Amino acid sequence: MGDQYITEEQMQRLVDFKGAREYHLNKRRDKVDKRMSLSEAIAEYVQDGDILAETGFSYVRAPLQAYFEIIRQKKKNLVGIGSPMSNCSYFMALGIMKAIHLSYIGVEMRGNDKNFARVIKTKQAKIASIWSHGSMALGFKAAQLGAPFIASKQLLASDILKQNPYVEVIDSPVGKDKDPVCLIPALFPDVCIIHVQKADRYGNAVIDGPAINDIALAAACRRVILTAERIVPEMAIREDTSASIPFWYVDAVVDLPYGALPGCCPGHYYWAREWWEWLVRCVTPREENIDPFFNYWVYTTKDQYDFIEKLGGIRFMDHARQLMEAAEANIDDSNVSFAYQEVIPKWD
Amino acid sequence: MSKVEPANPLELLAYNISLQIENGQIVYVGTGLPMVGALLAAKTHAPNITMVFESGGQDPLEGGMPWSVGCPFTFRKSPMVQEMAPSFGQCTLGYVDIAFQGGAQIDMYGNVNTSVIGSYENLKAILPGSGGGNDIGSLTEKSVLVGLQTPERFPEKVDFITTPGYLDGGDSREKAGLIGGPSAVVTQCGIFDFEPASKRMRIKGLNPGMTVEITQACTGFELLLPEGEVPIIPAPSDEVLEILRRDVDPRRVFTKMPGT
Repeated sequence: MGDQYITEEQMQRLVDFKGAREYHLNKRRDKVDKRMSLSEAIAEYVQDGDILAETGFSYVRAPLQAYFEIIRQKKKNLVGIGSPMSNCSYFMALGIMKAIHLSYIGVEMRGNDKNFARVIKTKQAKIASIWSHGSMALGFKAAQLGAPFIASKQLLASDILKQNPYVEVIDSPVGKDKDPVCLIPALFPDVCIIHVQKADRYGNAVIDGPAINDIALAAACRRVILTAERIVPEMAIREDTSASIPFWYVDAVVDLPYGALPGCCPGHYYWAREWWEWLVRCVTPREENIDPFFNYWVYTTKDQYDFIEKLGGIRFMDHARQLMEAAEANIDDSNVSFAYQEVIPKWD
Repeated sequence: MSKVEPANPLELLAYNISLQIENGQIVYVGTGLPMVGALLAAKTHAPNITMVFESGGQDPLEGGMPWSVGCPFTFRKSPMVQEMAPSFGQCTLGYVDIAFQGGAQIDMYGNVNTSVIGSYENLKAILPGSGGGNDIGSLTEKSVLVGLQTPERFPEKVDFITTPGYLDGGDSREKAGLIGGPSAVVTQCGIFDFEPASKRMRIKGLNPGMTVEITQACTGFELLLPEGEVPIIPAPSDEVLEILRRDVDPRRVFTKMPGT
């Protein structure tokens, strides 16, 4: 099964329950201050050859500034997974990731991501297995539950099964119907980075808004990095009993306000919508546009504050905050307009 | 003469989607036109529907058009949000009445392809992948397929079954262990259902101005016809069109015809 894109060992590691358990058994248990800089966290806990799980919802509470640091550190031979996993597209285009376990790569109605099609067609990267959002979510959930697999009704009779070496179909051995079910194995990526609204210095973390698969992924992954909008006193989390990730899952805590930009972060800021449309409508359709775009937005951008300056500084940021508060009905939204200039390239 | 401009094909599509939704239902909503159709239903004939999204948002307070299924408008002051796995689990459990799915290809048995044109060995085009499509289509009691109808997009057989419909027809879906199934197909031509025994796609009603001949010419397989005369779906009223244009998609993000 192994090839130049993904080794047999990387294929097997995804479902290696014993290996993940062994890794977890050897993680530090003591409750210590795990704060460090973003570059230290990525340097130490994201390693070449890792299976990297995307978190959030591709561009909702996703650790995008941490992904940009992965690009700046020029990691190699990553394997991508996630449900959804749209940021894997540019990891592949930039040569950082060579194989993916695919659920969905796209920006919904904003258009197909042509990077993705190109890197697969030109064999720069490979699809190692195919999933649906829900079946992959069940794989992460099985890991969190400590279940070797979960039997599902999705994926049955689809051609996805022909492109997925992990899932098996059997007639249910329990119940009276004995009808077919899919066995979805527990999935154990190596590392995930989760952007949260609040964390304490030890790694107890609070997620506001949809958690997507992140609570399951925090349990499943061998290593977990948190980037947080706010580092709060431990007592603030204890008073609310609001944490959904316990500190012992977490290896590193990064104080990273605006860490989900250019995506949105519930409770904090709305998307840089034009940035995403620019990416999928102007940049990814043409290979020669990729390097200049990432050079401008990533390689020559030191941190999230540089990034905000390029987006428009305090005016952009305050507008993004206002849109989020209006969308969440936390301010009087009667005079707030969601209109914006859509990015529509001339060649479309 | 009415002062309201008649519906364009995308507005008709959104309207026909809205007609699939009954008041009081729990509706699993995807992005794009299904979102427009569901919001239109909620603002017209079905004010008491509850919307559920695969991002985990559910039962949001009424608000603007979401930019994505992960948009804060999908969990605006929601009593709670779900994680992704239990969100889809609600479909399996029988708590979701109807769901919508678009596709690059839809075939005569309602199988949907959002994965690949050609094959992975012999690629013509790569599409985004299943996302939640396979899940909602495999698990929901009724799923409604939405597409622009052309012979290429409506082939006899899809290149890749991302989301199973009725597979090879008859009882093949049930035998495969799947739950629920496609109940309707909505296109710019009209609304289709599936003949109960063969599970082949059948014209249920056509939009004003559409004929069986034009609709068949837009299709890569032979459509079944209903018994008797083919019903014409009444055009949306001026009032519905005004709600669509003023309150549902005021910026015409999803209902503006390209090039206009």
